[in-house]
Amino acid sequence: MNIFSGHISDIQVNESLSLVSIKINEQAILQVIVVETPQTAPYLIKKNPIQVLFKETEVIITKEDIPDISIENKIKGTVNTIEKGILLSTLSMDSEIGTIVAILSTEALQKLNLEKGSVVIAMIKINEIMLAE
Amino acid sequence: MITVDIYKVLQAANGNIMLNIQLDIAKGQLVTLYGPSGSGKTSTLRMLAGLMPVDKGHISVQNQRWLCTKENINRSPQQRSIGYVFQEYALFPNMTVRGNLEFALEKRQNTDIIDELIAIVELEELQHRKPNTLSGGQQQRVALARALVRKPKILLLDEPLSALDIKMRSKLQDYIIKVHRQYELTTILVSHDIGEIMKMSDKIYCLEDGKIVKQGNPIDIFTNTRVSGKFQFTGEVIAIKKEDIVYVITVLMDQNIVKVIAQESEIIGLVIGDKVVVASKAFNPMLLKVEV
Repeated sequence: MNIFSGHISDIQVNESLSLVSIKINEQAILQVIVVETPQTAPYLIKKNPIQVLFKETEVIITKEDIPDISIENKIKGTVNTIEKGILLSTLSMDSEIGTIVAILSTEALQKLNLEKGSVVIAMIKINEIMLAE
Repeated sequence: MITVDIYKVLQAANGNIMLNIQLDIAKGQLVTLYGPSGSGKTSTLRMLAGLMPVDKGHISVQNQRWLCTKENINRSPQQRSIGYVFQEYALFPNMTVRGNLEFALEKRQNTDIIDELIAIVELEELQHRKPNTLSGGQQQRVALARALVRKPKILLLDEPLSALDIKMRSKLQDYIIKVHRQYELTTILVSHDIGEIMKMSDKIYCLEDGKIVKQGNPIDIFTNTRVSGKFQFTGEVIAIKKEDIVYVITVLMDQNIVKVIAQESEIIGLVIGDKVVVASKAFNPMLLKVEV
């Protein structure tokens, strides 16, 4: 599980859904969609400290930024370690928000020709991130 | 609404404990009393039922006073409209299933309730059998039905399922939920089984040394981190297996087995038998209509 701490910087509410922006640090804001509103979840207050959680398997790795893509959260970093398995591999990268771990197919890892020091971008969809107090 | 505020000095193995319990239970709720042995759970049920004297306090149920030590009001157990189910079935061995239920009828009470209850807990085939020819789960169903013959307002369940195996327990839980809803009961359960509490209760009271130390909804009480995931269930870890670079964790939830892929960092300290919350976002699960 990737876990980062931040503060809520913005909340857009529509019926029972909220699109929450979490400022991790000066460089990075993550967006998250939740089936909660400030009425149902008292922690949804601007400036409130909050944790964001996402599975390693939900992280998409690309070497180049793709501007026209429907993924809201993009974080730049460099590959630190790679653990190669038969079908799946684990990659950890140093990024502007800290270490992000991704699990991807070994095939994709080879196709992208990734190694320690490669510059990559991690992408996570808004519906793959959970919030925790 | 049930309002309880009772004091009682209880003699325990290592000295006296001062029991002081306050409960506010809305009509129709199913709440659980949870805590170590000797924390006062069974005593609380017994005082509610009028089976154990209270030193000081009051109990009122839907604006009727059942107990008020100040004004010397103390209804007898028979006047309290309570159904009580214990871990032991306590059935009359010389009577049939039906006989056990009929014995609980009040004078001049309409006997239709017997057939209704037999149908609800599915005892039709067994109604003419004696208790000693039934399995533990079947006997407990009889005890549950018998507790409801007089149409009580409150159902008290003192670890009713702890002697049963997991499959039978799950079935009995479903019967309890069914009668709880159908008869609009207010139910107080004593249980140690976290999965059972999560499945059944609206609210949990944690007792220690005769006091309520925590109360709230079960997910908040049993999990350290509250996550926003709308898809949350508790279960028990039954297998942890490393495959390739990930771990496959097998979790038993109620009667279903699920598998979760985890990273090494997620399973630190996790061992077989641990209770876990399996959480996902409401966006991930797919719904497939079951054709019947």
